[in-house]
Amino acid sequence: MQALERGQLWLMIVRAGLFGLILLMLGSGAARAAQLRAGVPPVVIVGPLLLLVGYLVIVAPLRRYRAWAYRMASDELELRRGVWTRVETAVPLGRVQHIDIAQGPLERAFAVCRLFLHTAGTAHSLVVLPGLSRATAEAMRDEIRARIRAEEE
Amino acid sequence: MSGAAAAGSVVADRRVHPATVPLQVLTQAPQTVLGAPALFAFTSDVGWRSALGLAGGLFALVALLNWVAWRRFRYGVGAAELVIESGILSRNRRSIPFARVQDVDIEQGPVQRLFGLAKVRVETGGAGGDEGVLDSVSLAEAERLRAAVRAGRDADAPRAETRAAEHADEVLYALSVPRLIAAGLFNWSLIWIAALFGALQSAGRLLPDWVRDPAAWMGVTESARGRVTPATVAAVLLFAGLLGVVTGIVRTGLRDYGFRLVREGARLRRTRGLFTRTEIVIPRRRVQLAQLLTGPVRKRFDGRELFLQTLSSGEGGGGRQTVAPFATATEAVGILRAAGTLELPDEKRLQRVSSGHVVRVLLRSALPLTVGVLTAAWFYRPALFALALLPALAVGAWLERRYHRYLLDRELLFVARGWWRQALWVVPLAKVHSVALSRSWLQRRLGLASLLFDTAGAPALRGVVVLDLAEERARALAEAVRAYSGRKSGTDR
Repeated sequence: MQALERGQLWLMIVRAGLFGLILLMLGSGAARAAQLRAGVPPVVIVGPLLLLVGYLVIVAPLRRYRAWAYRMASDELELRRGVWTRVETAVPLGRVQHIDIAQGPLERAFAVCRLFLHTAGTAHSLVVLPGLSRATAEAMRDEIRARIRAEEE
Repeated sequence: MSGAAAAGSVVADRRVHPATVPLQVLTQAPQTVLGAPALFAFTSDVGWRSALGLAGGLFALVALLNWVAWRRFRYGVGAAELVIESGILSRNRRSIPFARVQDVDIEQGPVQRLFGLAKVRVETGGAGGDEGVLDSVSLAEAERLRAAVRAGRDADAPRAETRAAEHADEVLYALSVPRLIAAGLFNWSLIWIAALFGALQSAGRLLPDWVRDPAAWMGVTESARGRVTPATVAAVLLFAGLLGVVTGIVRTGLRDYGFRLVREGARLRRTRGLFTRTEIVIPRRRVQLAQLLTGPVRKRFDGRELFLQTLSSGEGGGGRQTVAPFATATEAVGILRAAGTLELPDEKRLQRVSSGHVVRVLLRSALPLTVGVLTAAWFYRPALFALALLPALAVGAWLERRYHRYLLDRELLFVARGWWRQALWVVPLAKVHSVALSRSWLQRRLGLASLLFDTAGAPALRGVVVLDLAEERARALAEAVRAYSGRKSGTDR
């Protein structure tokens, strides 16, 4: 099984970090208000909040990143993801209808992109594999394309 | 036919039946002609005379608009495509190549049947619903159109098997009236009663007092009111039950009267309906899987409802079509074989999922109950008696596991689930699009895994799943299915 690019981990941390920052701002405001109104020492609120934000920004992205893995076999793409509920998906390449590669501005900054596989299924009609380098994603796309074309002939 | 083979040169020289104009006007009358002036008369001080005049004017306007729309709507059948021109101000020319046509459905509403008309719906694989609707043509013209589309399509993609077997029609299933009633009996539902009472409640203010007060018309005297005896409770329950049965029969009767499933070569054709007769065609190669639905009582009477899941996004049900409302096992096997290479499973060989399933089902139902009861008991001690329900939940969980079974038999996957609502999926491995194995936190502690087999055309959140297998068994099953679909991926779309 193949791990995702390192850049994906940093991307996850930065994304969680933005959320954590908002949480900290709201929390410190609440702590200040509680101190003025009811005389609650700020540590009571800020302490647990720091722990929570620490988990959300560092531990959780790390676990999520580690849970991701993929393997490209000759006839299928295998994906593994999920921290609490672990899901392993296998997509037969012959079933792929079309393929997209997407890269957002943040992703561009960390040099990663997402590969989308569309199948005719329902629940998993769209399978997303994030955290690939542009070169890998394009190589995979070409391989799957060649495979679909071979299937059609 | 006057159409030439070259695209764009097909002459759209036919109009839908002229009777469509008065029919359209009449069916639209309630909301346009009567509704608007009535509202106007109520909200302003205009007298009823002017309101009537307004209604007359509107009626004429609607009739005129419909007539113009009818004049401007034209269609034509070429050698390889159907052309529809429409639009009053901006002209719109749409051409539907026969090669793209999936089904041609013919539908007859009650009024249309009276006039011998039919609505033709040409379905292509596209997302939009109304791609080619002719509302309405004469029944003969509808039949002719369908024949033309089919002939054009089959000529486009010659399929010897299809055309050779075209004339060998075979009735796979016909629903007699006694069995229709039986099907209705098992279709009883309290939902419709709830809806009825809900409607009564909201419309209540418009009704006279005696209707609104059930106590009055049910013969309950003034003195008896407020005294709830077991007898009144039993009477109300009995009444509700009867109402449920009657609504079930009526609903099924309206929908499934004269239900027929006919095999025509590589297609299945279904007709049904008492007032509105509908007809759909299911091409065999578009069948993704079959689902059978029965229950503990229905099974005793050898009855089951049979569905086929198809690729087309037909109206309602998301590609799930009923092909038999109440079929015996023998009939079901006949339909399954005609619909593809489907079979019923060997009941004895079906395997149960892990006993850990009982634990998971029980935890999921018992945990909320326990928490709820304990919270309630904080305020009201006797609430603790509700914990007596726990054994019932345990029995329910045990039954869930007993009836959740699966079997992989050559090229078919069978999954059975449910004790009260017994569903059985029959899935050809060639139609499995992806396999997902998932293990939640609790499942990992219990050494379990669930499998989801993704198929095309499934209703959302109702895919084929096998819950709580022992992990190594789940992996083996997933591997077997993957090995098959990787080796031989059906490219039927």
